Amino acid sequence: MNLKFLIVDDSQTMRRIVANSLKNLGYEEFVEASDGKDALIKLAADDGLNFVITDWNMPVLSGLELIKAIRSDEKMGKIPVLMVTTRGVKDDIIEALKAKVNNYVVKPFTPAILREKIDQILASNGGSN
Amino acid sequence: MMSSENMSQLFAKLNDLKKVFTYGERLIPVIHSLGEFMKETVPLLENINRSIAESTLKIPKASNQIHNVTSATELATTEILDLVDVLNADLASIDKCVVECLEKEKDKEDFLNSLVPMLKKENTQAFIDEFLDRNKVTSNLKSVIDRIKKMKDDTNSITLSLQVQDITSQQLATVNHLIESVQEKLASLIEDFDNTKIVEGHDNLNLPAGASFDPNARYSRSAVPQQEVDTIFNKEMQTASQAEIDKLFN
Repeated sequence: MNLKFLIVDDSQTMRRIVANSLKNLGYEEFVEASDGKDALIKLAADDGLNFVITDWNMPVLSGLELIKAIRSDEKMGKIPVLMVTTRGVKDDIIEALKAKVNNYVVKPFTPAILREKIDQILASNGGSN
Repeated sequence: MMSSENMSQLFAKLNDLKKVFTYGERLIPVIHSLGEFMKETVPLLENINRSIAESTLKIPKASNQIHNVTSATELATTEILDLVDVLNADLASIDKCVVECLEKEKDKEDFLNSLVPMLKKENTQAFIDEFLDRNKVTSNLKSVIDRIKKMKDDTNSITLSLQVQDITSQQLATVNHLIESVQEKLASLIEDFDNTKIVEGHDNLNLPAGASFDPNARYSRSAVPQQEVDTIFNKEMQTASQAEIDKLFN
């Protein structure tokens, strides 16, 4: 499956790090967004985006609110979402699960973890969204 | 004419009145000392108020300094990432050159070996083997490729270590948020006390709008935090799935 990622993080540094990690894993297509609102605009504008990697703590619209917005949308409701965040406490993880996140990575991450979670999501989605 | 019952009531009332006066007499010294205490306390409170006002005015400076630290580390991180990208591009191009050299070496070896049947001399193979052995750079080139791979891994590690910038910036944003809250409380305290506003302080508090922060953000290269997250995630996901199944059957 040809994956086109939307990387959502208010930190430019983190967006570059995630993009570099994806490049090292062999993925070539990414679009970046600086917050949840920006992400929704980019998702609406590009039908090819089929995998979202998002931070939680962001201004304007948080990662959690972004997931809720994606899941409540008929068109993009099934896009896989991977949360990559510093928030690692149980309540946060449960809250993300309730919002129907597909998997959860705590920062700092390694490319191996990123690959593992992407593969798990794709496997559970049967290789399609 | 007053009855004896009315007279008793009058005396009871007078008695009560007497008690009030007696109580008042005792209360006067207390009120007096309270006044004295207030006289002594007011300058002290004014002093505290002045100190709080001065401290409040310094808070925006501290907050701005923290914000400057975040900006500086972000700029430095971007520069390092730029350099790492240049290094990676150079390594990729060196890698490509070395792989091409290896392929040429292999071609040369194949070509020389192909000459053996044509020359058909007894010592030709031995001569070619000797020639190839003396010109052998293959192992060196393979070693260069291994080193390039190691350098690529190192640059990737540098990139990953730079996640510390995002994590520390969230911690600093938390400190700034606390400072902002303290300043607001102190300003309202001063306003309540002498009805003056610390307008100057509020104007100088130049925090980025909607800065995101996480007080629990930690930089750890240990695999334990992710393992803990995975355990919670998998357990809770199973619970959620079971809940969904139960919902379907009920």
